[in-house]
Amino acid sequence: MNALTRTLLGRLGGLVLTLFLASIVIFSAVLLTGDPIAALAGGAKPTPELVAQIRLEYHLDDPVWARYWMWLSGVFQGDFGRSFVYKTDVVSLVAPRFGITLQLVLLTVVLILIFGVGSGILAATRGARTDRTVAVLTSLGMALPTFVVAILLIWIFAKTLGWFPVYGAGEGFWDRLWHLVLPAISLAVLFVAYISRVTRSALIGQLHSEHVDTARVRGIPARRIFGVHVFRNASPQLLAISGTTIAGLFAASAIAEVAFGLGGIGSLLVQAAARADLPVVQIVSLLLVVIFVVLNAVADLISFAIDPTSLSEGMNA
Amino acid sequence: MKRIGIAAAAVACASLLVLTACAPRDGGGSDDGAGNDEITLVDAQPAGTQPVDEVTWAIAEGEPATLNPANSANLIIPNLCDNLLSLQPDFSIEPGIAETAEFVDPTTFVITLRDDVTFWDGSPVTAEDVVYSLQQSTNPASQWYGAFALVVPDPAVGIVATGPNEVTVRFVAPDSTFRDALAGQGGAVMQKAFGEKVGEAVGTSDGGLMCTGPYKLEDGGWTPGSDIVTTANEDYWNGAPLVKELTYTFVSDGSTLATALTQGEIDGAINVPPTSRAAFEGDGAGTLVVGHSTSSYSFGPASSTSAAANPKIRQALNLAIDREKYLETVVNGLGYVQKTLVPEFSFQSMEEADIYQAGYDALATPEVDIEAAKKLVEESGEDVSVPLVLAVVAGAPQFQQTAAIIQSAGKEIGLDIEINEMQASDFGALFYDPSKREGVDFVATQGYLETPGVIGYPSLFLLPEQLGGIFNWSGYDNPDVTAHMTAARNAVDAETAANEFVAAQEIFAPDYLQVTLAGAYQLTYINKDLTGVVTSVAAYSSPWALHLGGK
Repeated sequence: MNALTRTLLGRLGGLVLTLFLASIVIFSAVLLTGDPIAALAGGAKPTPELVAQIRLEYHLDDPVWARYWMWLSGVFQGDFGRSFVYKTDVVSLVAPRFGITLQLVLLTVVLILIFGVGSGILAATRGARTDRTVAVLTSLGMALPTFVVAILLIWIFAKTLGWFPVYGAGEGFWDRLWHLVLPAISLAVLFVAYISRVTRSALIGQLHSEHVDTARVRGIPARRIFGVHVFRNASPQLLAISGTTIAGLFAASAIAEVAFGLGGIGSLLVQAAARADLPVVQIVSLLLVVIFVVLNAVADLISFAIDPTSLSEGMNA
Repeated sequence: MKRIGIAAAAVACASLLVLTACAPRDGGGSDDGAGNDEITLVDAQPAGTQPVDEVTWAIAEGEPATLNPANSANLIIPNLCDNLLSLQPDFSIEPGIAETAEFVDPTTFVITLRDDVTFWDGSPVTAEDVVYSLQQSTNPASQWYGAFALVVPDPAVGIVATGPNEVTVRFVAPDSTFRDALAGQGGAVMQKAFGEKVGEAVGTSDGGLMCTGPYKLEDGGWTPGSDIVTTANEDYWNGAPLVKELTYTFVSDGSTLATALTQGEIDGAINVPPTSRAAFEGDGAGTLVVGHSTSSYSFGPASSTSAAANPKIRQALNLAIDREKYLETVVNGLGYVQKTLVPEFSFQSMEEADIYQAGYDALATPEVDIEAAKKLVEESGEDVSVPLVLAVVAGAPQFQQTAAIIQSAGKEIGLDIEINEMQASDFGALFYDPSKREGVDFVATQGYLETPGVIGYPSLFLLPEQLGGIFNWSGYDNPDVTAHMTAARNAVDAETAANEFVAAQEIFAPDYLQVTLAGAYQLTYINKDLTGVVTSVAAYSSPWALHLGGK
């Protein structure tokens, strides 16, 4: 397993480097765009003296690199900074909200896998009529922005039929699930359509490949051909796409969270950006980068486990 | 305190403005035929009679940053922390934790406390606690600093305990506005021991609070991002509330809020958006209650060098804007024409209200006169070929509409107005960072006054900067106005204060340091099974849920 160890170490090194670079970019970008005084003054009218006092207290006049270093060394000591607005540790701010976003994303992923991969398989294997139907539906799904779907769902299923709640995250497992169904659907629609198309084309690519033709000629049953040859060979491509899709869900969740009044990290990021609460914007942005990088690495590693040659291909692609 | 004004309002609305931008609200054009004149104003509902286990209340402004009364104005704090004096729904002031609070001589103010008030932990409120609390507001970082500006700065002299139940406040000059301010959060009482133990974290989700109000915030009551759970204070000095658990949730998206309220998922909310009027007045789980407010929409000059600093240009715009159309478009008919920047409700329960009212009545009612407006533009001598830039906060439909109306009014009289929609944090920065105002000629905002009083708010716009005119960006300096305003604040009797203010208003009102576009009403939506809520703007300063209960 030497190759695997080397791959793992390489991946880990790349991961750390990516995070390091991302932290620099995020840190400096956030500093350049926002003015935190209003947030720091907490609603008081900031007199020139107060503004000066705040600038000093929060080192706002120090060079960016010095502040970055202060922040980074804090992170290594487990101190991720304090929210300018809430005056509390950002970790205690982000952690509970992250749970809700994670649950929302998990439910959405389940929906995407069932309906996206499912409809992709149907489109690739069940003849032209099914293929056309799925194509029409996925075009529609891709054309509908998440917030439009959210409004339609609220209107139909919450307001008119009254089957689902319109806001909030609920308490306890079933209540939470019930509250998350509509947000998850609104978030899933776009990605279902996307994954469906990717699945279809990956499968069709395999179905028309030489080794599948060979297997057919050798009289191997269709079901087995599909399982062993087609799906297995298509899966690295699907996994790679899934990694970025799931990571994208964490960012896209903001729209669903705002529309359905869920207090997740997406809506936290939107709020924090509006209030120029820089430490929160930094930590949430970084968290999104971490999720993105880690999920991609995991997808690659699973691909590698399925087909050891996929990794180099994947990296070159 | 009468000057929350614009900066705080702008910062506070910042978050929800961006959030609402993500989803369309109910259209503003839904005319249900109900005219303005059919509105019945209710300032407080009849008290509840039945106990209720749980009530869920939505905070339309979104999650507050802190519950520390010295640093924030939100609708949760008034139910947790009592003020020294008690603001009534009609904006009159009655004793609260303070039995009496009066000037005993022109510069000495004595507060006598009730002896039966206790904090949530059962310990009695002492003069030391009150001194500690009032001193919070003498910090420039406090939202209520302006009200304490004339207090002797030396803490050993300014605010001191002069008996177990007596606090004395000494002033450098008489201050006719101070007593009114104590009915607002500038007069909120917190426990000294708790405050010193928790330090900076007072009012945060970690630090918590220790106050005397009808509802208690207990450890772990505030789950950031989720909700704030408060429980009834059974030993409340003014009677225990009927609602055992009052939970606040944060719904800043207007259409989500309207749906959740009308579906009955949330029991009530204050400050519901007027754009959802049709939904609220339709078939739903509750009713829309319209109450008096001091809130108003206005715009004013942001520069001393542009044409915006010329009163004639502002007078011209004032004559070009159709107020009835404005009311219909921006607040969906739930507002009224307001003549100047101090609304009537803010003085109607003050001593000598008649003098203030007569002064208000004597002001010109805004009307449309395009020809006169054009003439004023001509007379102004300003170069009108340069476009004037109007800044509004991005993402809020009511300000987009406001800007569009001002722009089209300008067009009619030959003024080219450009709209600059600014991101919330940049817009907030306009109010303290002069560099952010470069290239901006006008700023349009919404502000309100949470306690009675007429001097503080206009002072921000018309006094020279060193006298507290922190929003006087056009450099307005009229010695007569300054003299009358100073005399009004330093007056030792109410009649002089009223007469001096009216004399100042007579001069400054026609100069339109803020062109007032409309006064808005306080809009509260509440479940049909519940009653007892304060539905006027007094909700910002008084325990509005004290009498909340079942019908």
